Formats: sequence, C-alpha cells, structure tokens
Amino acid sequence: MDALHAAPADLPFITAWIDEDESESVTFAEFRQRVRSEAEALRNSGLRTGDRVVIIMPQGIPAMTTFVAAMMMGAVPAFLAYPNFKVEPSKYRSGLQGVTANLGAKAVVIDADFPEQMLSSVSLDHATKLIRAGGNRVAEGLGHSASQAEAAKIDPHSLAFIQHSAGTTGLQKGVALSHGAVLRQIEHLAQSLKIDSATDRVYSWLPLYHDMGLIACFMLPMVCHVPLVMQSPLDWVMRPESMLQIVSQYKCTLAWMPNFAFQFVPRRTPKSRWAEYDLSSLRLLINCSEPVRASSMMEFQTAFAIRSTVLQSSYAMAENVFAVTQSDVDRDPVTIWADGRQFRSAHRLLPVEKEGPGAVSFTSSGRLLTNQHLRIVSDSGAIVGHDCVGEIILQSDCLFEGYYNRSDLTAQAMIDGWYHTGDLGFYRDGELYVVGRKKDLLIVGGENIYPQDIEQIVNRHSAVHDGRVVALGLYNPELGTEDIVVVAELENDGLLAKAAELEAEIRGMIVAGLGIAVRTIFLKPPKWIVKSTAGKAARSATREKILREHPELNAEAQISV
Amino acid sequence: MTAEEQQMVQYILQLIRKPSATIDENAPLVSSGLIDSMALVDLLLKLEDLTHKRIPSGKVQPKDMDTVAKMFATAERVGKPRK
Repeated sequence: MDALHAAPADLPFITAWIDEDESESVTFAEFRQRVRSEAEALRNSGLRTGDRVVIIMPQGIPAMTTFVAAMMMGAVPAFLAYPNFKVEPSKYRSGLQGVTANLGAKAVVIDADFPEQMLSSVSLDHATKLIRAGGNRVAEGLGHSASQAEAAKIDPHSLAFIQHSAGTTGLQKGVALSHGAVLRQIEHLAQSLKIDSATDRVYSWLPLYHDMGLIACFMLPMVCHVPLVMQSPLDWVMRPESMLQIVSQYKCTLAWMPNFAFQFVPRRTPKSRWAEYDLSSLRLLINCSEPVRASSMMEFQTAFAIRSTVLQSSYAMAENVFAVTQSDVDRDPVTIWADGRQFRSAHRLLPVEKEGPGAVSFTSSGRLLTNQHLRIVSDSGAIVGHDCVGEIILQSDCLFEGYYNRSDLTAQAMIDGWYHTGDLGFYRDGELYVVGRKKDLLIVGGENIYPQDIEQIVNRHSAVHDGRVVALGLYNPELGTEDIVVVAELENDGLLAKAAELEAEIRGMIVAGLGIAVRTIFLKPPKWIVKSTAGKAARSATREKILREHPELNAEAQISV
Repeated sequence: MTAEEQQMVQYILQLIRKPSATIDENAPLVSSGLIDSMALVDLLLKLEDLTHKRIPSGKVQPKDMDTVAKMFATAERVGKPRK
C-alpha cells in the first residue's frame, strides 16, 4: 500500500484495452483516488479489518480498484472467475457457496453492471452480503485521511489476499498469502527480471484470479510503478491477434503467457498480417504456468522475428505467491536432449546428441530466485541424484500461510517445513526442468482444472457405471497444451449402441457444470477401466491403456512421466 | 439457411472433426460443449471472411457465437466495413 502511495502521480498505471476503438486508462494518482473512495464505500457497507471478501467482476479497472480497496481497508480479498454463460446458475451458485462458506466471507462484491438475470448465480444466504462495487460512495475527499491511516496500520504478517488458482469453483483451495510474503516475492522477482520502471511496460491478457495475472501482471506493476496495458482473457482468446496490436501500439516490454499461447497467437493470426506488427519493444516474453516446450516458443519467434533472448521461462505457483525460478534474462533459453527410453522407463536423464533418434527434449524453467531453495525427492522422501526425476519440494521466505481454513490440505502439502509441489522435475547445472505431475491436476491453456470435478459430474449420468470415470490431460501438439479426455465405463454393453447420444449428453453436463468443453469422450464397455487395488479407477494405468488402444491420440502425450 | 450459413456449418463440422454430422442454424455449439473457447477465434475469423466485415472482438461475447444464426446476427449488429 505504501508503494501505491509513493508512485508518481502522473505516471500512467493501467490501460484497459477493449478493442481498436475503445480503451480506458488511469494514472497512479487516479487509481489511488478511486481506491480510497471504494475503500470508504466498502467500509460503509459494513466490511471491517480482517473480513474476507470475494470479488466477482469482469476483468478491468473497477475489479482491480475493488481488490486494492479491500486490501487498503485491511480486508482480505479473493478474486473468483466471473459466471460463464455456459454454466447453469445453480451450479455456479453452489460452487460459490462452497468457497464463501470455507472463507467465512462477509461479502461478495459484484460489478455495477452485473446483469439482473445472472443474479441468481450469486445470491447466497444472508451470512454473506452482496455488494455492488461503486455503491455507497462518499463524496470525493471525505474519509481520505481515515483510509490512509488504515493503510498505514497494515501488519506484514497479516493476510493480504487469498488466491484460488483454479478457474472452476468445485475443489477450491484458497491459498492464503501475507503482505510480507507478497512483497518479498515481488522484490526478488523484480530483481531477477531487472525491472526498470522508467522503461518497462507490461502487457497482459491473463485472468486476475490466476497467480500469473494477479502477481506478475498487477501486483508487480503496482509495487514497482510500471505501466500496464491489459485486456480481458475472453477478448484475447476471441482474437489472439489483439496481443500483437497492443504490444506494437504501446511498445510493451514485458509479458507472461502459458505455453499454448506461443503457438496459438501465430496460428490464429492470418499469415498475411504477421509482418504488420512490430514487437521489437519486447524485452521479455515469459513462458509460465504449463510445461515449457521449445517448439512452441520457436514458432512465435519465427513468426514475428523477435530476438531469441526475449523468450524466457519461469516456474511459478500460487502457494509461493508466484515465481520459484526465472531463466537468465540475458541468455537464450536452455534446452537439453535425453534418451527417451531411459527417461520413460527409469525416469532417469541420459543426455544425448541433439535430435538423435528416440531423443526427447526438455526446456529449462530457469534458475532459482535468490530466496528459493529446492530439493528433488523420491516417493520415500529421499533426495535423488541430479540425473533423476523426482518431486519438486521447496522452501522460501514467500510461501503461503496455508490453504485457508483447510489445515488438512495444508498438512498434506507442507511436510517438515517443505512445500510439496506435486510437480515432477529434475535439477541440473543450476537449472530446473519441470517434466510432469504427481498430483491430479489438468492444465489447459495455463488454467488449472481438477479431474475430480469432471469425474464427479460424469458419474451422475445414469448410463455410466458409478465410480468408473477417469478424466485425463493429454498433450496436443496442435494446440501446445493439454486436451481433456474423459474415459467412462457404461453400465452394460447394450448401451454402446447409443454412444453418440450419450456422449452429447455427457458433454452437455460437463459444460453446464464447469463451463469446460472436453475434447474427446470415450465410452467403454463394463470392466474396461483399470482399477487400483482399492477398487478405484487408476488414472495412470487407464491413461496408458487408452494411449495403447488409440494411437491416434499422439505419441507426444506419452513423453511426460 | 443462407449460402453463407451453410458454408459456416461445413466449416464447423470440419473443425469439430465430425464431417458426417448435421447441425442446423439454431443448434447450440458453445453451450453444448461442441466448441471450446479456443475455437471461438476460428469462428470469428471465418465469420469475417463470409460477411466481409471486421468484427470488434471487444463487442462480442461467447454467447453471441452460440449458434450459426446468432453469429450472423452478431456480425450484422457489430460488424464494421473492412479497412
């Protein structure tokens, strides 16, 4: 909060780009003024220091204002994804209810223009108040000194905000972060990126409920006084070319995006227009939040003729506020080649000549930030050798306080002071390579999705054998990200004749429940899914079986361990 | 269905890899899970081609692209002459 107060008044802060004909900008001074006024409004609505508040607003300056206003008055905000028109209001509401109940949230703040017909998605019981942002405003200037005094009292050990890193509201873990942890992360990250507030400008289309959007592309610019040009993820995904327009027009220097975007942008921009864009202002374009693929980055570099040192990578997670590693900003990304068979069978790294037969490549996620310590451990917790794959566990001075109100989940992840990431990787010559996942998580276009959320919905279909559903993420080289594939066992063989109809019904149920479109649904006869000894569907064995039976699903899906 | 709508239907069937399926102009595509958000840009670019218009993405929501009929209505509503 002090950093926001210290920012030069006339410096542009946020430009929210809608399209070629429309955008809105605020300077740091204007943003501060709006934040103060909104903080007063929240206080007038009955919010107090320490209260948790959920913010459900479309991506833009008002949402960011409300978030910082809540922090300024000492409340603990959490962004949640905006209701998606595909999701049934009752499903959204029950997910939201789960989150607000767990947080003991005092209020849900929605935007001033929140559509009346969607109100049923967010109307909860009276324990949680529904507040429209921008309401209850006091005259500008009034209450000014009160909120500044409030801001000055913030204790670095107190909670700054709570991050929910998955876009769906089902199995939500609220990552609780203190003010001190957030600031320490930003300090180390800014140092590693050599941030220069006089010359840098961030571009972002990333959702604010995601750590990459919230920390790298909102908190870091706010604390380091760096201008930011942003658009909504929805506008970007409808026209990824807009990224090129914005970076060219505003001469942005810094951006983060998940791996798939490196090939999505060139492939979804007509080739005839590639040369119209000038991306020479870009200093760093950082591949983060899904496994890094050199081929995806190369595609972007070739299409838009950017310097290879611009392409960088990072490994980050909400539980660590954000970045664990960052590649050296003055160097080309590091890629190594290894024997594919050794890697798959023994999870061991045997370096080989570049692109030799059967070789697989891995691109580094970079070096540890100076406040991070990591170990690579086996299932038994023993530290493995530098050529072995194991779980990445870490310690740092910016780790989370725990999953809010979920000491059970926190205890599973924090063991003897080490945070167990659930990611698999190896650490070689000071570089971290992330190669797979031990935890049950799908990452589609950088977005985290819990397979259990999907499986639970499919299980409800009467033709599906209860408990015999597996949702998997398989790498799709066309898209540069995972495709969601669902395998479900039918109650009896006779139902296979109706497979097309059942598939459409199941697809509809998943979309209505989660807003997610799955790529492929495989309906299989009884006893097809491989079970574990406990009788539960075994994910990895089912994955191997489906890849064996459907080689068209592609070979690359089989590389990760 | 107009000839352009018919062309859009053909394009969508290719996109979802179901060339032998049939869809009419009012069949929900996004809300039924047939089209995911990463394919919306394909529909938007095709729509611009078929209507010879520029469609500002900031004025279009996924629900405006849910059926073939809605896509053409959206192009009519927010489309601008090409530069």
